[in-house]
Amino acid sequence: MENKPSSFVDRPVVPGDVVLDLSKMSNQTIKIGGGLRQESDFITVMKAGKLRFSKPNKYWVESSQKRYMPCVEDTVLGIVVDTKAENFLVDIKGPALAFLPVLAFEGGTRRNIPKFEQGTLLYARVAKANPGTNPELSCTDASGKAAEFGPLKDGYSFECSTGLSRMLLSSPTCPVLEEFGKKLSFEIAAGLNGRVWVNAASPSTTIVVSNAIMKSESLSGVQQRIMVRKLLDRIQ
Amino acid sequence: MEQRLANTWRMTVNEKKFIESALLSGLRVDGRNVYDYRKLSINFGKEDGSAEVHLGQTRVMGIVTSQLVQPYRDRPNEGTLSIFTEFSPMADPSFEPGRPGEFAVELGRVIDRGLRESRAVDTESLCVLAGKLVWAIRIDLHILDNGGNLVDAANVAALAALSTFRRPECSLGGENGQEVIVHPPEAREPLPLIIHHLPIAVTFAFFSDESTLVVDPTHQEEAVMAGRMTATLNTNGDICAIQKAGGEGVPQSVIMHCLRIAATKAADVTVKIRDTVEAYNTERALRKIKRHSAPVALDVSGTLPNLRKNQVKSEDQREVSGSVGTQVEKLKLMNERKNSDQSNDIEDTSKFSKKQKGSQSEKSTQQASPKGSAEDMKAISPATESAKIASQTHGEKTLKDAVKPKHKRKKKAPSAVDGS
Repeated sequence: MENKPSSFVDRPVVPGDVVLDLSKMSNQTIKIGGGLRQESDFITVMKAGKLRFSKPNKYWVESSQKRYMPCVEDTVLGIVVDTKAENFLVDIKGPALAFLPVLAFEGGTRRNIPKFEQGTLLYARVAKANPGTNPELSCTDASGKAAEFGPLKDGYSFECSTGLSRMLLSSPTCPVLEEFGKKLSFEIAAGLNGRVWVNAASPSTTIVVSNAIMKSESLSGVQQRIMVRKLLDRIQ
Repeated sequence: MEQRLANTWRMTVNEKKFIESALLSGLRVDGRNVYDYRKLSINFGKEDGSAEVHLGQTRVMGIVTSQLVQPYRDRPNEGTLSIFTEFSPMADPSFEPGRPGEFAVELGRVIDRGLRESRAVDTESLCVLAGKLVWAIRIDLHILDNGGNLVDAANVAALAALSTFRRPECSLGGENGQEVIVHPPEAREPLPLIIHHLPIAVTFAFFSDESTLVVDPTHQEEAVMAGRMTATLNTNGDICAIQKAGGEGVPQSVIMHCLRIAATKAADVTVKIRDTVEAYNTERALRKIKRHSAPVALDVSGTLPNLRKNQVKSEDQREVSGSVGTQVEKLKLMNERKNSDQSNDIEDTSKFSKKQKGSQSEKSTQQASPKGSAEDMKAISPATESAKIASQTHGEKTLKDAVKPKHKRKKKAPSAVDGS
């Protein structure tokens, strides 16, 4: 009983379901992610979706929507809306605009504040996310290094649902990307907030990959592979 | 204020640059060719005169209604046509409820010009009493989803709705022929509008590079484009309207090129509209036939609908058994009265029972009923028989000669036994 994960794992849950009874489990630390709430001894569901569990002790609820709810340590793609004295205002498809401190870059000082025009696409990490306040982003990882964060140049960006972007980031690699990767070479950045950026040498490659990704949300792995193979046959 | 900032749709610099650079090589972001339209689908609602058009992701609904009003002073024997647009906030984050914005007014105006000034809808036939009463046709266009190119989609919605709209028939009566009686649809079949031609709007988007233009821009392409032009024309080769409001200047040769392309596009769209409207009308006519009370010799074109109708009716008659005596009597009376009337006008009280069985019989027409239901029968003979209506009659089989499905011959022997 002690180490058994909840019987709801990987099953759809709706708000109000009680998934864990803490009084029955002793001496355990459970980490609760998005969509779950602790009510004294019970862990109840707040958001409709699938309950997920990752060893050793993390539970969260996953669902696919157009709108993104900011969560700490998520990597997102944001669009710069405005520049203020202290922060950049960045749109991450959430309920509120996010703040990106002007110094939150590798080696960032008051002297070398980057200049982003309106509409710049940034790859950033959510540093702070509390309900009711504007989330805060950062373009460095926890240790202060750049680690691929920052503005993205060229390429094409489009929007999708949060479920699709999670699928693109899953490991093992998502079937669509794997099949394309066998024949074409391209770069891709997926934000958990439902934005994807694709870059390739030729525009036709970019267009094919983007459209295939957009269509692959409701397809199973096998169907995705078939679709990609058909597309590749057509363009080659 | 900040909430509104968070909700606005934004475009990245990357997207903008990519769309333009891809267009230089003739590639569009959704994989289309430069002069291709998105997939156009037209669906009709339950009532006459309502159509919903999907052009790719763009969705527009058009609804046509009519009202009797006083005509304008300077046009005493012409009806009126007016267009109202509603840009629902659910279609786009930038649409606000309340007063229509500039673009909404422009859209309404372009469609209105295409229909009214080209005289696509015959307004003189809408006159009931010259100088006193005319029909005012009102077209409401609801934008449900803005995926780009609202003008074209809204235009198709307006045309589809107008093509399937039926206005009540009215006649003059009263003492000195000055009273107008509007007949309800149950009494007299409503009439369609007279539409001379279909003016189709084709929108072009121009980009900062001189030679790049696309047909049917998507939402993203519209955000990037430098100018736009809409040409409304019909398949007869007439140009009904051209709208180019602001935007980048375009040389004359490009305009002529656009008009040539628009002519071919208009032909495709016209064919599509005509086909879907015809399918709708056929389905509507079949629906009316199904509700018909008795097998009056109907003047429906083609033998196949006749066969179906006979099967349907005989199914009905077979199923309507038992306590149908009164209904049968009414049938008989109705038939005697209406035998000479037009086919589709009649809807009588017993029809509701047919309607219920109608759906069943539609499905079961394919299965030849074992009692040889497809036999034709005159209404009078079964009516005069007992309440238990048998599927076979002794009456003349007028249409049976014309239509002889195989199962009828086979079942003749057992069916004769059943006759009463």
